[in-house]
Amino acid sequence: MFAFILQRLWQAVIVVFAMSVLVFCGVYAVGNPIDVLISPDATQDIRAAVIAQYGLDQPLWHQYFAFLGRLFHGDFGRSLVYNMPVSELILSRLPATLELTLIAVIFASLAGIPIGMYAGYRPHSLLSRAIMAISILGFSVPTFWFGLMLIMVFAVQFGITPAGGRGDTASLFGVEFSFLTADGWAHLILPALNLSLFKFSLMIRLARAGTRELMLSDTVKFARAAGLSEFTVLSRHVLRLISIPLVTVFGLELASTLAFAVVTETIFSWPGLGKLIIDSITSLDRPVMVAYLMLVAFLFIVINLVVDLTYALLDPRLRKGRA
Amino acid sequence: MTAAPLGPLLEVTNLKTWFPSARGEVKAVDGVSFSVAPGEVLGLVGESGSGKSITGFSIIGLIDEPGRIVEGSIRLEGRELIGLPSHELRAIRGKTISMVFQDPMMTLNPVLSIGTQIKLALEAHEKISAADARERAVKALAQVRIAEPEQKVDFFPHQFSGGMRQRVAIAIALLHRPKLIICDEPTTALDVSVQAEILAEMKELVAALGTALIWISHDLAVVSSLADRVAVMRHGHIVELGPAFGVLTKPQHEYTKALLDALPSRAKPGQLLLRGAGIADAAPPPRKSATADLPPLGSPYLVIDNAVKRFQKPMGFFKEIAIKSGIFRPLPVVQAVDGVSITLKRGEVLGLVGESGSGKSTLGRVAAGIAVPTSGSVRLNGKPVMSEGRGARKITTRIQTIFQDPFASLNGRMRIGDILAEGPLAHRLVTRAEAPDYVRQWLAAVGLDPTFANRFPHQFSGGQRQRIAIARALAMQPDVVVCDEPVASLDVSIQAQIINLLIRLRAELDLSLIFISHDLSIVRHLCDRVAIMYRGRIVEEGEAGTIYDNPQHDYTKRLLAAVPVLPQAAE
Amino acid sequence: MFDIAMRDTLLGRFLEEFFRNKTATIAAIVVLLIVLTALAAPLITPQDPYDLTSLVLRDARRAPGYVGIGGYTHWLGTDSQGRDLLSAIIYGLRISLQMGVIAGGIAFTIGAVIGCAAAYIGGRFESLVMRIVDLQLSFPAILLAFVIAALLGQGRYQLIMALIFAQYAYFARTAHGAASAERQKDYVEAALSIPLSPLRVVLKHILPNSLPPLIVVATVQVASAISLEATLSFLGVGLPPTEPSLGMLISNGFQYLLSGRYWISIYPGLALIIFIVSLNLVGDQVRDQLNPRLRR
Repeated sequence: MFAFILQRLWQAVIVVFAMSVLVFCGVYAVGNPIDVLISPDATQDIRAAVIAQYGLDQPLWHQYFAFLGRLFHGDFGRSLVYNMPVSELILSRLPATLELTLIAVIFASLAGIPIGMYAGYRPHSLLSRAIMAISILGFSVPTFWFGLMLIMVFAVQFGITPAGGRGDTASLFGVEFSFLTADGWAHLILPALNLSLFKFSLMIRLARAGTRELMLSDTVKFARAAGLSEFTVLSRHVLRLISIPLVTVFGLELASTLAFAVVTETIFSWPGLGKLIIDSITSLDRPVMVAYLMLVAFLFIVINLVVDLTYALLDPRLRKGRA
Repeated sequence: MTAAPLGPLLEVTNLKTWFPSARGEVKAVDGVSFSVAPGEVLGLVGESGSGKSITGFSIIGLIDEPGRIVEGSIRLEGRELIGLPSHELRAIRGKTISMVFQDPMMTLNPVLSIGTQIKLALEAHEKISAADARERAVKALAQVRIAEPEQKVDFFPHQFSGGMRQRVAIAIALLHRPKLIICDEPTTALDVSVQAEILAEMKELVAALGTALIWISHDLAVVSSLADRVAVMRHGHIVELGPAFGVLTKPQHEYTKALLDALPSRAKPGQLLLRGAGIADAAPPPRKSATADLPPLGSPYLVIDNAVKRFQKPMGFFKEIAIKSGIFRPLPVVQAVDGVSITLKRGEVLGLVGESGSGKSTLGRVAAGIAVPTSGSVRLNGKPVMSEGRGARKITTRIQTIFQDPFASLNGRMRIGDILAEGPLAHRLVTRAEAPDYVRQWLAAVGLDPTFANRFPHQFSGGQRQRIAIARALAMQPDVVVCDEPVASLDVSIQAQIINLLIRLRAELDLSLIFISHDLSIVRHLCDRVAIMYRGRIVEEGEAGTIYDNPQHDYTKRLLAAVPVLPQAAE
Repeated sequence: MFDIAMRDTLLGRFLEEFFRNKTATIAAIVVLLIVLTALAAPLITPQDPYDLTSLVLRDARRAPGYVGIGGYTHWLGTDSQGRDLLSAIIYGLRISLQMGVIAGGIAFTIGAVIGCAAAYIGGRFESLVMRIVDLQLSFPAILLAFVIAALLGQGRYQLIMALIFAQYAYFARTAHGAASAERQKDYVEAALSIPLSPLRVVLKHILPNSLPPLIVVATVQVASAISLEATLSFLGVGLPPTEPSLGMLISNGFQYLLSGRYWISIYPGLALIIFIVSLNLVGDQVRDQLNPRLRR
């Protein structure tokens, strides 16, 4: 087990390293940062000074190591737009996004898995067909359009929820969260619903496919032949078996939900990271882009690591084999 | 039908289980009647598709959708089971009737410990505390002779071998002292020696507990070693039912006779089976490849010298670096073939026998030039069969291979004609103009209709596909054919036809064969010489008759003793 | 040589089974209709949305059924610039389809080549290439597309590049999985044991048998490319405003949504959804038919 964790950490280091190269090349080398930094009518002297200040006259690999060195010290630079340290900026926005993402994914899993299992258990019933129709729809409707519809119906037509913003927040461990206040929930519900629709459909499909295959398996047949009730078969055998692939997907989806939060946050004016990255891309705020990408990469690695460890906990075949 | 003295435990009358399909009803079980007395062992025998398994699943009420019982009655101690509400059926399953399945690798849940699985089965029928459940689980494992049950109860299925897993499944089936156990081919997926152990244990347990048994199998010899009575099934009907000894020694029905005739163990070695049925008349097309350099029959031909084949788990890029830089221990190496030297004489049939994991298939692949040996050499008539160095490839066409699973060994996207012509065309054994005719001649030679050349593999049965695979190998005009379990996945009657075909073609073409099999009776029937493999080595080698009649090595003796034998009628 | 007509080919059986499913058949017909409509857009639309001279500002934001200056009825209303929405939607579908098919097609080819090559060559090349692909797959396609589109700027080719980069990894993964699985199979071993040349085995045996899972992925990925394009255009990093893609139309209507002019966003959205749902339904049926584990 220890060797396994060590191996994953070693891989994570390599991945972070690879990401830093990619991000550096992607963000710094594509296009000319000088054009952004300096106004076109600046004098030659100012140009040269700025170039020297940012080290842009150095060879590329030199610039890269300077960049890497700053990263190591947690220095992501200053945002060109907000004129504050990027790390501070990002940390102030992170809780809002994490809150939204986690609520969306947890809702999608808690609702999607049982519903999907039912659809896989009785694949031909009318209800299952309806579930599948909904999941196909949820799978196909673009997130942004579904968000618009939610606003139109609940905020504009019925006026029961606000159309955007984060609402009142309360402090927990020194961080502000919306889910601690009623007004916060009112603001949270539509974006969370919006963000979770795709995951919800995905969970339904995966749980259904897994259950359907397992119901035909000898394992389930044998359990039934031993007289186990259908509920026990589903809750003890089938759920345990499908949970292994579902955990992987849960992890991956947590990551992709973080990314899709970009869309949802734009529509619902949710003051999170997604909104920040959109703004920084449109205003070419490179330090923010770099920091965001590195943060996302880091989060993905952490999530993958947690997934792998959970995997080993769930599947006894991995526990022995890898250690 | 003789009435059991105590009144039947189970009485099945005119059972019909059908499966609707796009092409109408498939009558899997179509009017089956039999009874089982308390403590009796009934053998249910038949080939694939005979309906024997579906009969078993009908009794326990676990027919897969969309199948259903359309007619008939199943009475357990006088109580009708058909039409019972599902919760009442569930109360019977596992308690009064239980079942053991064919593949122990698939039946146990891989992510639950053995103890948990036993506990779930206990809780299905009684309220029981966790401590009591554990104690019962330990006892249940001890009952099926699992050593150190206190520790094993916390094991997961992957920590057990196939035979042990099947024992666990049997332990679960026995938990509630059922009156009837249905065993669906429970030893088919196991090695002979394990099969023999489980058969013996089963016999003992059933006698001690007074449990009745329905033993479903395709193997007449296995059934004969256990059953009091035997029912022979075909196309959803029981064609013959009677005391085991009588049915197997003096069969009344034509089909039973044919089944028995198909068994190589009942024929003289080398003889055509089934009284020569299923033999094609057409001769193979004349050989065109050079024959001048062939040594005379009986002289050493294919020489395997000190072959070793190791397998290592493939590693990822990073892992490889990590291991090389010493961060991780190297991965364990599996030694599949551990220094084997053996010579195949020209014109001879060499049997390669062993249980699963013995390395016989790997040795076959090395001999056939499919797998590169880690060290050692394979030479055909003095020339290497593979090129040297990195990316080593087979360079001779004189060795060809026939694979086990005819459903996997034919490319489903090519027509039969293209499958057969591809090799000969690539190696210029025939011209493009000659090819269609060449293919038709080969199809006729393996007993198939020459017009089949236009069809796709999915249109053929397993036996027909294996004939196609044989034609594909022989169309390359080889001298040596490596047959890797070529009949293992076929029904006995089809198996007999393929054996006949091999016997005939081998004689006509002066072929040398390496015949790899786990089935000792087929090897005895076909082979001149036999090599017994165990853990990557050949433990004994010699003339077939000598080895079978007078085995020297302990392993060979155990193996031969484990083979179930049919009762022979006094002549 | 042996290709004398035999209708019971695998494809024939496949289609027969496909058309037995009514939902999938209807979905396939809808996809076909949409494709035909999009192809024939210039012939059947009342207005050319690219032709700015035909736009009249007085016609802007009119409700469905309004008869405009041009003398024809705007069945689905008009957008903020006075475009006939029906025409704009049909042209929008045309753009979406173009993007989806071009990006999907190129991503398919690149992915299939990379995946098959990795499976065939094996060794370090395989593990390195597949590591990169896996790493990329752990990043959501939308994020990659978003960043690339943002870096490259607006425009058709930039968008296609972004979509390809976001999607090729899915094809590479699938192709690699399928080709490695096929490579293990007996028929490939049989072909190699004849022996046939490795190139021939790859082209004639492994590749054709690896296609089915790739086709399934392709249907899903074309649908997701279309959705991705709309999303990027909606966020303002996709197509330029001069090309009225569906995402752009919806985005333009967003600001009018709150004032009750729902049609500008809703109808393009519905068109998009009908198209994507149909594609996914077709993909689902194909997947079910090709899944050996559900067959007995």
